[in-house]
Amino acid sequence: MIRQLYAYRDLIRTLVARELKVRYRRSAIGFLWTMLQPLLTMLVLQLVFATIFRFDLANYAVYALSGILFWNFFSQGITASMNSLRGNAPLISKLPVPKAVFPIATVLAGVVNLILALVPLFAILLVTGHPLRPAILFLPVSIALAALFTLGAGLLLSPLAVFFHDVVELVAVTLTLLMYMTPVFYPMSIVPERLRWLIRFNPIRSVLEVFRDPIYYGKIPPLSHISVTCGIVVVVLLLGAAFFRRSSDRIPLYV
Amino acid sequence: MTMSGSNTDSAPVVSLAGVTLCYRLAKLRTPSLKEYAIHWMRGVLSYEKLWALQGVDLCVRRRQRVGIVGRNGAGKSTLLKVVSGVLRPTQGTVSVKGHVAPILELGTGFDFELSGLENVYLNALLLGRSRTQIDEKRDEIIEFSGLADFIHSPIRNYSTGMLARLGFAIATAWVPDLLILDEVLSVGDARFVQRCESKLEEIREAGAAVILVSHDLSAVGRWCDRVLWLDAGRVRAEGQPDEVLARYIAAVEAG
Repeated sequence: MIRQLYAYRDLIRTLVARELKVRYRRSAIGFLWTMLQPLLTMLVLQLVFATIFRFDLANYAVYALSGILFWNFFSQGITASMNSLRGNAPLISKLPVPKAVFPIATVLAGVVNLILALVPLFAILLVTGHPLRPAILFLPVSIALAALFTLGAGLLLSPLAVFFHDVVELVAVTLTLLMYMTPVFYPMSIVPERLRWLIRFNPIRSVLEVFRDPIYYGKIPPLSHISVTCGIVVVVLLLGAAFFRRSSDRIPLYV
Repeated sequence: MTMSGSNTDSAPVVSLAGVTLCYRLAKLRTPSLKEYAIHWMRGVLSYEKLWALQGVDLCVRRRQRVGIVGRNGAGKSTLLKVVSGVLRPTQGTVSVKGHVAPILELGTGFDFELSGLENVYLNALLLGRSRTQIDEKRDEIIEFSGLADFIHSPIRNYSTGMLARLGFAIATAWVPDLLILDEVLSVGDARFVQRCESKLEEIREAGAAVILVSHDLSAVGRWCDRVLWLDAGRVRAEGQPDEVLARYIAAVEAG
């Protein structure tokens, strides 16, 4: 599977470029929106949580924004992966292309968007005088882990979305639930003691914290945490790849 | 490509043995995960089986031209999809040696927002070519398509004939080991069809095997060395074009 995908690397690159072009061609707004949308969400959260509910968190803006960027990347990556097979149905039913190129290209385009969205994050860091430590150099590793995790989930869900038309809606609802079960915009400390295990054992939280630690806390995540996260990513990716491969022959029959 | 000796010439490019393809259609016609789960739990999941191909054998050698005829729904397109590797058979074996260029529809994979030239790259990449290979051939492709003046404008402004020319130019820019054509020659004007036919002849002389599906029986009779008649997923007859076509025509006229 990997060798075949390597042979199609030029195609993957072109698909990524096409996806970005479609998103940004229409106007400069598309480009600005990638940066503005998380900022606006952050402002709303800042207003609601830092002013009204009062979390005890220094520089809530940075905490929330890093969470939002991660969550948008993850949830949009999954949704777009699910749509990528259906959206390319004419190709899949007529050409012997390896079908995994579509979710892969989609997640890679998401990585580019995430990197663009880091620009306003750094601006906020500067404006709020948040210390930028050398640990920030760990961020590419965090992004790579987040991307592989998202890809694994996308490979797992995208064939299902082809076989059953209601999967996209079911996943959308589940994602909303998962967002509240992940400390995207609230700190762990506000979760009641008896419920904390629920959040702690949420694998998405691990991946999120590996992303947030270098930005918000200015530290490289503890080695134990990195190892657990790598383990989670490998399991999700292998599960996704195995399921995708198994369903691969049936995909052209249903798209 | 080197001149192949008689040994490699006689080795089949395509060989199918006992190929059977079964579409499993859910009887309850509800591709929804919720209902699937309910039916699965109640044990009432049942499928209607549709045998699109049953025990099909086919062997095509270099420079051979095989025509496939049959009524609508006889399994012609399914057979081409199996040969090109889009669908995997339920039973039986498919072995294809070398590079396959399937044109199951002219311009599959065109993106109407992109320019002609961008589509040359996208389309050829989808056919499994690398960027370097395309760089080498792009001028030739543009020249054969006769679209040099329009190659930088978006293809949504192209006419059907222009799209057909571009699609055919891309697919035949390289000599594949096997070229698959599904009703491709029926589009375009007489001059285009003539150019296509001479291009096909050129490719065949360079060593490609060609499989052609068409309802244009005179073209099949004129151009193929061998004809295969598919009827309800089975091979009804195979052999000399005149003979097989005469029997097929008689059967169609008899209703």
